[in-house]
Amino acid sequence: MMLHRIGPRLAVVGSLLLPSACAVYTRPGAEPEPPAPVVTPTPEPIPPAPTPLPDVPRGREDAGVVAAYSPLLAKAETAASQGDYEQALALLERAQRIAPDSAAVYLAMAGTYARKGDKARASATAERGLLYCGGGAVCEELRSYIR
Amino acid sequence: MASIRNMLLKTSLAALVLAAVWVVYLDAKITSTFAEKMWELPAKVYARPLELFAGARLSADDLVYELELLGYRKVSTIRSPGHFSSYRNRVEVYTRGFEFPDERERSTRVLLEFSGQRVSTMAAGGQRLDLMRLDPLQIGGIYPRHGEDRVLVRLEDVPVTLLAGLKAVEDRAFDSHHGFSISGIARAALSNLRSGQVVAGGSTITQQLVKNYYLTPDRTLVRKVRELIMAVLLEFHYSKDQILESYVNEIYLGQEGPRAIHGFALGARHYFDTPLEQLGLQEQALLIGMVKGPSLYNPLRNPERALERRNVVLDVMAEQGVISAEHARIARAMPLGLNGRRQIRNSFPAFLDLVRRQLRAEYREEDLATQGLSIFTTFDPLLQRQLEASTARVLDQIDGAGKLETASVVTRLDTGEVAALIGGRRSRYAGFNRALDARRPAGSLLKPAVYLAALERPRDYTLASRLSDTPLRKELSNGQVWEPRNFDRQAHGAVPLFSALANSYNLATARLGLELGLDTLVDTLARLGVTEGVSAVPALTLGAGEYSPLAMATLYQSIGAGGYRLPLRSIRNVADAQGEILSRYLTEYDRTASLQATYLLQFALQEVVRAGSGKGVYRYLPGEFTVAGKTGTTNDGRDSWFAGFSGDLVAVSWIGRDDNGATGLTGASGALQVWADFMSRASRQPLEYRPPDGVELVTVDVASGQRTGDGCPNARMLPFITGSAPSQHTGCGQQAVPAGGIGDWFRRLFKGAN
Repeated sequence: MMLHRIGPRLAVVGSLLLPSACAVYTRPGAEPEPPAPVVTPTPEPIPPAPTPLPDVPRGREDAGVVAAYSPLLAKAETAASQGDYEQALALLERAQRIAPDSAAVYLAMAGTYARKGDKARASATAERGLLYCGGGAVCEELRSYIR
Repeated sequence: MASIRNMLLKTSLAALVLAAVWVVYLDAKITSTFAEKMWELPAKVYARPLELFAGARLSADDLVYELELLGYRKVSTIRSPGHFSSYRNRVEVYTRGFEFPDERERSTRVLLEFSGQRVSTMAAGGQRLDLMRLDPLQIGGIYPRHGEDRVLVRLEDVPVTLLAGLKAVEDRAFDSHHGFSISGIARAALSNLRSGQVVAGGSTITQQLVKNYYLTPDRTLVRKVRELIMAVLLEFHYSKDQILESYVNEIYLGQEGPRAIHGFALGARHYFDTPLEQLGLQEQALLIGMVKGPSLYNPLRNPERALERRNVVLDVMAEQGVISAEHARIARAMPLGLNGRRQIRNSFPAFLDLVRRQLRAEYREEDLATQGLSIFTTFDPLLQRQLEASTARVLDQIDGAGKLETASVVTRLDTGEVAALIGGRRSRYAGFNRALDARRPAGSLLKPAVYLAALERPRDYTLASRLSDTPLRKELSNGQVWEPRNFDRQAHGAVPLFSALANSYNLATARLGLELGLDTLVDTLARLGVTEGVSAVPALTLGAGEYSPLAMATLYQSIGAGGYRLPLRSIRNVADAQGEILSRYLTEYDRTASLQATYLLQFALQEVVRAGSGKGVYRYLPGEFTVAGKTGTTNDGRDSWFAGFSGDLVAVSWIGRDDNGATGLTGASGALQVWADFMSRASRQPLEYRPPDGVELVTVDVASGQRTGDGCPNARMLPFITGSAPSQHTGCGQQAVPAGGIGDWFRRLFKGAN
């Protein structure tokens, strides 16, 4: 509550901190309110600063979504362990459609590419997955695939 | 004398042998291909199956729409598969189940509860169900070989009067002849003689079929002889029913844009929007009449001639005893009764067109020839509905007169899957597919490539770099002078790089692009997936060239995905009749641009919609929903473009005129409206990437480009590629924010997350 006394601009940042604190997440658009444009005066009011608060906090995945894709990850693991990488990747792609912003799914994909011997794609996939990871072990594991 | 006779004999023998070889060749051709042609099954094309799970971003209304499309019946008491009921936030479905290539989805009775735009719970038989998919919507059938969409029909489903009428008009001796008909030829010759011109061909139905299948339309004697021989051979090998069924499915009945209408079943759907089995006598007669001249008697183009022809056919049918005179009289009195919408229901021609092309471009010939393929596509009927609705809403508003055309492409940000596509204002009408085939200058839509090329050189350029927005004059190699101007006709002096893009300043962008070099720009565009239509001239910096909306979707897909080039896909996999997967098309991430530089570019594209030329977007979207995008306008407002992305979707919209005339629109007043209207209803995820490793946030004074303290004049926190932030400091606020203050917290969080 103290934040509101610091000033309106800080308050915007403050409003970000609350969800971020639990989501351990930073957001590119979730920076402080863009001040009025520098070069050209804008005739219309600038929309409020981006404070993306999707119904599911990022970095903490919805339990239903995790329950939906987890069996697919397990099946993909089985397929990959039998050397059927195509099938494994197809299953992971279905998992990705269910949870497009899940770093865990990206991690499984990167791992499958690596086992398949496609190090370049493993690296590119892991790098992309990092954009969605909320810190911790998953981030570190993704980093380990980046060349 | 003897030698002449001898020679004649030899020549005749040789000719006889040659003729025999020819006949054998034709026979082999017929027996090897006719059965295949006759029984060729269309490849079934499916939309993506709808995935259901608790947490899915789907509303009850969306699910009900999908079920209706799939032909599920809404009932009060669910009894069997294909039934559903819905009440407020609950939908209960008895799914039909489906044999997917990888797995069988069983028929299940499932109860879903919704909370707003989300599925909150899903259960079957009182037990929680984690995941299931509905059967996929069939969006068309493609004959791989012909590349056409057809509706096949079995002979027993064709109205008896239509078959009898067809024979009465086209080939009275069909049931008795052996492929050709002397009496038919004599009758044709007689009527030709009477009228003094060729009015009848005298070809039997069998001959017509041979002609359609195997021969060119030119009228030469050799071709005619060949047709005759093949017709006889066809009759020798196949039954009358087989021949007639093939004919009914093959006959050409006109053109709808680039799409040929083949077969009575598709003709019935196209001209009357009615299944073949349900056609009235007058409608059957019209289709029969069209066989003689599909273009001449096209009821949409020549209604009077078509009506006259239809009535002649009705007379012949009565005269030959196919129908009674009384029935003929009633049918004659009926109007043409055409399908006013001139479209085939539930068809998505623009998307099917893309599927067809990708099949042809990427598919092996031997696989295409396999019968009964199932093609599982990326098409999303829910997004398509939204795109069609947004397009209609905005276009009706800005152009009631109907002069303008439009095209839009929607893809999924993470995978590059094409989810929805509109190729023209009448989106259900097959015609010129502008999304794929329009070639237009891109205007400012190409500018991000210029800025990305700059940001990939962090030693030279950052978002805070000062660009010169001052008049520019360049002599071209052909002696002409290129002198670009800003939209507002003003020069704005020194401007920060990010706001030059946000405000779409032409002078600053052109100068920047020329500094970087045209080769660099061409290379950057290629890395982002745009190679066709690029002209390496100075005006390339401002979007010169010829690009399709699909090409622009590729460009923005690469930027939105973070510098990964993702080929846009419309097909997920192709399976054969046994459910074996023949081909899979997987998403493959290939990095082609710097992740860090792309992140910076995304920041600038967010600024476009927050404070620049694209801020009209937030008249539709809630302020907290972050998206990034760019407007594009070409000379005299000939093209109005908008391209951009949210956290889940990439969309590109174009509005213009087919005659390339002025529209009076800018990117913001036209295409932006379609884009934003669509995004506000369809996108479920704002853009909220975590910054990549190697990016830091630094507060700078945007007026000077120097570092400054939080809260100082002109202060703005911008992302920089690590090590590229300005080193000079304004001196303001160096001590202003105490350690542990809010700014430091933000930075620590940022760093910690790295």
